[in-house]
Amino acid sequence: MYNKKRFGKILLPLLMCLVAIAVIAIGAFYFNYISKRIYEDSTDHLTEIYSQVNRSFGAFVDQNWGLLESWEDYISENSAASNGAVPDFIKKEQTYWGFSDFYFIAWDSSCINLDGAKSAMTLGGAAPLSEPVMSSETLADGREVIVFAVPAPHGEYNGFGYDAVAISYTNADMASSLKVDAFSGKARCFVVQSDGNVLLSTQTGGNVFGNYLVYLKAASDLDDSEFEKIQNDWQSGTSGLLNCKIGGTRYCISYQPVGYQNYIMLSTVPQSVISAGFLSVQKTTINVFIIIFLLVFAAVIVLLILRARKQSRKDKTELKYRERMFDVLSNNVDDIFIMLDSENFGVDYISPNIERLLGIPVKEARENIKVLERCAPGVEVVIPRDEFEAIPLHESRDREYEYTHQGTGERRWYRMTIYHMDIQNIKKYIVVLSDRTLERQMNQKLQEALTAARSANEAKSNFLSNMSHDIRTPMNAIVGFSVLLEKDADKPEKVREYTRKITASGHHLLSLINDVLDMSKIESGKTSLNVDCFSLPELLEELNIILMPQAKAKHQDFKMHVQGTPPEQLIGDKLRLNQILINLLSNAIKYTPDNGKIEFFVCDIPDPLKQYAKLRFVVKDNGIGMSKEFREQIFNPFSREISSVTNKIQGTGLGMAITKNLVDLMGGIIHVESEPGKGSTFTVELSFAYPEKDETESWIKQEVSRILVTDDEEEVCLNIRELMLDAGMKVEYETDGVSAVKTALEAHRKGEDFDVILLDWKMPGLDGVETARRIREQVGDEIPILVLTSYDWSDIEIEAREAGINAFMPKPFFASTFWQTIKPLFIKHAEQPEPDVADANVMEGLHFLIAEDNDLNAEILTEMLGMEGATSERAADGREAVDMFEKSEPGHFDMILMDVQMPNMNGYDATRAIRASSHPEAADIPIVAMTANTFAEDVKNALDSGMNGHLSKPLNMTTAREMIGRFTNKNSAPNQSDEKGDK
Amino acid sequence: MGKKIISLILALAAALTLGSCAAGGGSEKVTLSIMGKQSDLNKSYMTSIFRQYEEKTGNKIEVIAYEDEEYETSAAKDFKSGKAPDIFMHFHNADLNRFDVKDNFYYLSDEKWVSDLTDGARAYCTDADGNLLGLPFWENSVSGCYYNKTLLDSLGLKPASTQAEFDVLCQALADIGYTPICWPANGCSWMPQFGLDPIFADNPELLEKLNNNEISYSDISEVRDMVKWISDAADKGWFGNDFTKIGWDGISPSIGSGDAVMTFIWDTWFDTDFEPGNKYSADDFALMPVFMNTTDGGTYEGGNLNMMMLNKNSENLKSALEFLEFCAAPENYNKAFDGISTVNCFKGQTTNIQSKIVTDAAASIAEKERVSTAATRINGYSADDVASLFNMMFDKKTDFDGCVRLMDEYRLKEAEAQAAE
Repeated sequence: MYNKKRFGKILLPLLMCLVAIAVIAIGAFYFNYISKRIYEDSTDHLTEIYSQVNRSFGAFVDQNWGLLESWEDYISENSAASNGAVPDFIKKEQTYWGFSDFYFIAWDSSCINLDGAKSAMTLGGAAPLSEPVMSSETLADGREVIVFAVPAPHGEYNGFGYDAVAISYTNADMASSLKVDAFSGKARCFVVQSDGNVLLSTQTGGNVFGNYLVYLKAASDLDDSEFEKIQNDWQSGTSGLLNCKIGGTRYCISYQPVGYQNYIMLSTVPQSVISAGFLSVQKTTINVFIIIFLLVFAAVIVLLILRARKQSRKDKTELKYRERMFDVLSNNVDDIFIMLDSENFGVDYISPNIERLLGIPVKEARENIKVLERCAPGVEVVIPRDEFEAIPLHESRDREYEYTHQGTGERRWYRMTIYHMDIQNIKKYIVVLSDRTLERQMNQKLQEALTAARSANEAKSNFLSNMSHDIRTPMNAIVGFSVLLEKDADKPEKVREYTRKITASGHHLLSLINDVLDMSKIESGKTSLNVDCFSLPELLEELNIILMPQAKAKHQDFKMHVQGTPPEQLIGDKLRLNQILINLLSNAIKYTPDNGKIEFFVCDIPDPLKQYAKLRFVVKDNGIGMSKEFREQIFNPFSREISSVTNKIQGTGLGMAITKNLVDLMGGIIHVESEPGKGSTFTVELSFAYPEKDETESWIKQEVSRILVTDDEEEVCLNIRELMLDAGMKVEYETDGVSAVKTALEAHRKGEDFDVILLDWKMPGLDGVETARRIREQVGDEIPILVLTSYDWSDIEIEAREAGINAFMPKPFFASTFWQTIKPLFIKHAEQPEPDVADANVMEGLHFLIAEDNDLNAEILTEMLGMEGATSERAADGREAVDMFEKSEPGHFDMILMDVQMPNMNGYDATRAIRASSHPEAADIPIVAMTANTFAEDVKNALDSGMNGHLSKPLNMTTAREMIGRFTNKNSAPNQSDEKGDK
Repeated sequence: MGKKIISLILALAAALTLGSCAAGGGSEKVTLSIMGKQSDLNKSYMTSIFRQYEEKTGNKIEVIAYEDEEYETSAAKDFKSGKAPDIFMHFHNADLNRFDVKDNFYYLSDEKWVSDLTDGARAYCTDADGNLLGLPFWENSVSGCYYNKTLLDSLGLKPASTQAEFDVLCQALADIGYTPICWPANGCSWMPQFGLDPIFADNPELLEKLNNNEISYSDISEVRDMVKWISDAADKGWFGNDFTKIGWDGISPSIGSGDAVMTFIWDTWFDTDFEPGNKYSADDFALMPVFMNTTDGGTYEGGNLNMMMLNKNSENLKSALEFLEFCAAPENYNKAFDGISTVNCFKGQTTNIQSKIVTDAAASIAEKERVSTAATRINGYSADDVASLFNMMFDKKTDFDGCVRLMDEYRLKEAEAQAAE
């Protein structure tokens, strides 16, 4: 291929040049040869022509002399007569032969013509004549004539004695006989004497050449030797041919002796005239040669064109095939190919897949490649000419941009590789845009994985370090106080103190383990949401119940606000939401000094589509706050700010990480604003689904139309009015007790009593209870009076009821709570509540089957049940538990407490086996899981296997009592001071 | 201002002898008045003939001489005021309209002495109707093509006898490197009239039509041929390279050095203006006719002759005729022109000095000499105008057609001016 190309590029033109040179050389040689031959032929022709002229001239001379000789006798006989016979005879002959005059010549060269006019002749110095002569004579009247004279017998004419007779011709007469029409009439002929004197000339109109030798000497470029040769030739009567230049014109001169006396026949022809024939032949030859050459050249060109066309068609077909193939290929790959001209950066080629990959029409990209910049926002110049031009030939450069698909808006990463190429001596840039999105994503993931691995490794190290510390601390207390307990076992006060501290340390350790497990569960992605309908007011009430005591213990001002009209019923994971808010609020309490302020805001975020209830929870405190550095890593596990204050506060450093993960899990957002010494504000935004609408019974709304609200915080009053506005309630409010009493009294006097009066408990001046008392005193007992409080009202309940308060409502105010609270007040036959059995011992007399493989746990449980007045039997694994149950008499066991992870048969399988057994109580006997597996999934698995409930280890007896009471129909009311839930 | 000089020359000596011979004895002596230019009347041959006449007849010659430049005007006034002289001298036979020839002058065609006049001289003094107007008594000359015979012989060339030969000769000379013709275009204006002479001298009807404005130069093929030939000759280099810069003073160096071989001039120029000491002398030159493509055989122009015309109304007409007869007597004119360089006006002239050049060409001159016709007979002809138009043509400011057209325009303007005058 290379050799072929080399041949095509170098050898072929060289070969053509050589052929052209050879053709020119042959042509030149041919023309030179032909011109030489033609010139020789022409000069031969010239010589031949004038040889014939010479012969004709000779014949003419002979003829004239012959005429004179033939007339001699007649003239001699009649010349003396005066009868005019001779003149008549001569004139008759003159008319016939065309001579100009007739002369009688005396021996001394004097002469007369027929008219007697006298003159004289030189006769070439030959007088008296002894033989015929031809001479040029100038007559007495000045005329120049050529004379042919012959000797004649002495005679007399008109008294003039003569010895010769002659006839004369003018030069013009003679010239016509020598005129040669050949050579386009450009030839001249002279008859000259050997000394050069011109006898006659064919010069048109006459002769101006007196001596041609002299003329040649003066006018021609002949050198002396050439001139001498001519002289010698003429003297010796030799023929010759010469070539000379006269006045810028080159002549060919031919000469040959006439054969009479010493006369020479001389002919001159311009060489251009001679060459005219040659030139004509040459021109024709050249034309023919050129035509042949052109024909051959044209044929070659045609052949080459046909071949080129054939090749071109083949190339085009191949090119089209390749282009098609390339288009097909490029259409099916995610690489875009562009070829740019290096001079003007015009697009020579662009693969059609650019439209698919970048959403740019091919035509548009062809017209201006700068359209690529539209796809790469933020990239100033996608095709920087300077950078392109800086790429050395045959080298490439890479650039990587993120491109946006113009149609779909999809963003993908492309690597632009620019190759500076030389394509058939034309410099081009080939640009390849390769989709590197997957590679980049993979790299990113790998990077992230690497980072994660590093982080995990680091976390593991940190975890181990933290856990080592955090676990050892309570364990140290437990072990230490256990030692002390053994030592001081006989000292009841010490035992109670040590036991309390061991218990506290155990709870802390348990909390730590729970958090760790929670975190582990969340991070492993095994956490799932238990979505169900829940009441927001209930949730807030529970939070209030849990957190208010903690805040109260630190004398903190804890307030809960509801802003807007958040829906009261929501669908979501109440447990996880509770966990999130408790974490945030308990932290706020924990990191806010005594007498600090904690505010909790719940507000709705309007959703134009009304598809989800979007709520914003804000926990704001004026506590210690946090540094910027810590704020940025507050959601990382085990992150705790190190300071003199925080060091004294117990914590695992996992709470906020769990919170963040739970918020993420619920699709929400959380962010924090904080400043050291100024407190922190945590904001959580979450979306919940709406439950099916549960309309409050309409009858109750008909009973209530006017409400009097009294709260020292006007904002609360306005909020209530806004909330009740939807229900068509008319809400009037006062901000102090005295005004409330006054308003209620005025309404009463008008006979327009309020339907319900709501009073804040704690108000400046008259508090709620006192205000209620005074209202009752002046208005009576008919109007229901409710106390609105965020505090535990149990301490004042008796006093309040005595003052006339009908019921209590937790803050914040919710319409649903309101309606539920007042509903019983408007029902005449309301059922009386069941007696409180909170203090009853629900386990007294019960007999439990305990399935527990761990001896220690089994012993603790047995002891704890024993302390509650219950008895138990232990099975070491699930199989044994099943066997014991199946073998037991009906009613022998009241409940089965089932561990989950046990050898031989686990708790789930054992439960299923029990439920599937033929024992009469197989389906009814309560089975409660008792396990360290505390996650929601564990609860669900337990229930799915047929268990009735779930208790987590270590066992919380309060929870245990409540659950056992429920399943054994011995209720146990929850103590509000105890922990809620079972975690 | 005219200044009339009246000279009374009284013949004092031999009055009685002369009186008895001329007047037939005892007759009354007369005084003949003769009017002419002062310079003309002072010519030696004029004073000689006057003296002879007075001496031999006893009559008196009253010379009325005017300054040259005032002569025509003053003389015309005299004729109109009745002061016409007995004898009136005038150059050539043209421009006589103001003198009312028919009414004022006596035709001399029938006088005895007419046969003794050379053809050229006679033709010169004859009007269009063939009437001899005066007796030519002046220095004669012949204008033609004067060529360097020595040089031509050395080149093996001969003088031309036809226009064709002349063209060949010119080209042959040009081929060798010589300037064939010295054509002094700078201020010299006489050459074109030599070519025009044969046209109008040989065809008087053309002249008449031209002067009557019936035709123009453009209508005359010979005029166009001449102008075309001159244009071509200039283009072929026959006049040399810088001929438009050559004036009167350049002729002698040009032909004397042999740079130019021929020139169109008159014989007496060799006596008066040819500078001796050049490479070639006057003896090296010969004469052949002028060829300007207007006549095949060429032409010579005769000299400008002063003639003596007789006042037909003069009371002394008879004496005046006797005076002319006295002048035309061979013994008298030979005595008067003794030693004077001139071409013969009278066939019997023997004492004058004739140029060898002219003598050698006498036969040709006799055959081809023409009276100066163009300059003298064409109304409005101005040699200077024609020369200037030719120079325009040489400078390629016009072509030969344009030149002919302008020659007509200039001629008509000049004729109008002359008529107005």
